[in-house]
Amino acid sequence: MSSNQLQVTVNGTQLTMTRQFNAPREKVFRAHSSCEHLKNWWGPREWPLTYCKIDFRPGGQYHYCMTGPDGTEAWGLSVYKEIKAPELIVYEDAFSDKDGNRNTSLPTTTVRTEFTEENGKTIIRSVANYASPEALQQVIDMGMEAGMAETLDRLEEYVAKIQ
Amino acid sequence: MHPSGCIYIYLQPNGCIFMRRDVFQGIADPTRRAILGKLAKEKLNLTTLTDNFDISRQSVTKHIKILSECGLVIIEKQGRDRYISARPEKLSEVAKWINQYRSFFAESYDRLDDYLKTME
Repeated sequence: MSSNQLQVTVNGTQLTMTRQFNAPREKVFRAHSSCEHLKNWWGPREWPLTYCKIDFRPGGQYHYCMTGPDGTEAWGLSVYKEIKAPELIVYEDAFSDKDGNRNTSLPTTTVRTEFTEENGKTIIRSVANYASPEALQQVIDMGMEAGMAETLDRLEEYVAKIQ
Repeated sequence: MHPSGCIYIYLQPNGCIFMRRDVFQGIADPTRRAILGKLAKEKLNLTTLTDNFDISRQSVTKHIKILSECGLVIIEKQGRDRYISARPEKLSEVAKWINQYRSFFAESYDRLDDYLKTME
């Protein structure tokens, strides 16, 4: 089941996000393929894309910067691993600096984004394999067990929301 | 680089040396997660903690050291004993990171939805 709301599920090793769009697949895919399109939607509203450079092909890079309301810059660098228009994009996302050097001390995420079309609508299914695959389940388990700190309560609320 | 520990020392291209505690590294090991699970319930001394595991006191000590470097546990000396307690607030860094990731896509996809209406 998909809807126009983002659905998130966690299976212990992966974070899966599903969302439906009222547009044909080719168009949804195209919106991912160039700066001209991405600057219109990539990132939270308050963090617009202020720098963008894309080489949209396997092995190519997406180097970007989002600037927050207080001027804080968030630089990212993705490397495309696999591209199959208009159905699949696999990339590895990392934090970087403005010169495109990856920050290796922060987690990288491999994201596999699949586009499927049904009755003129497109479903995006994005599977993120995050850096410490087993960590999340453990965090959840501990939260249930302990219930001691406010942060764990918040974690539990969050887990309840995403399941 | 410290291959199995928690503190990373790395050299930036501009020549600056940075040190960073990585909570992800702390929970990457199943034994360390089990130790944290035990400590989540109560503060334990090293002997009691070791009795819960089929590994040597030396191994437990090694894991505790890494957890401590990550800021995930606190070691307190009480007489001849050492008591270890968990600092679960550090784990929220993991939850926060996942949450940020989720919010990022929720909002981006809402914007994509709007943008698709105007796109040719």
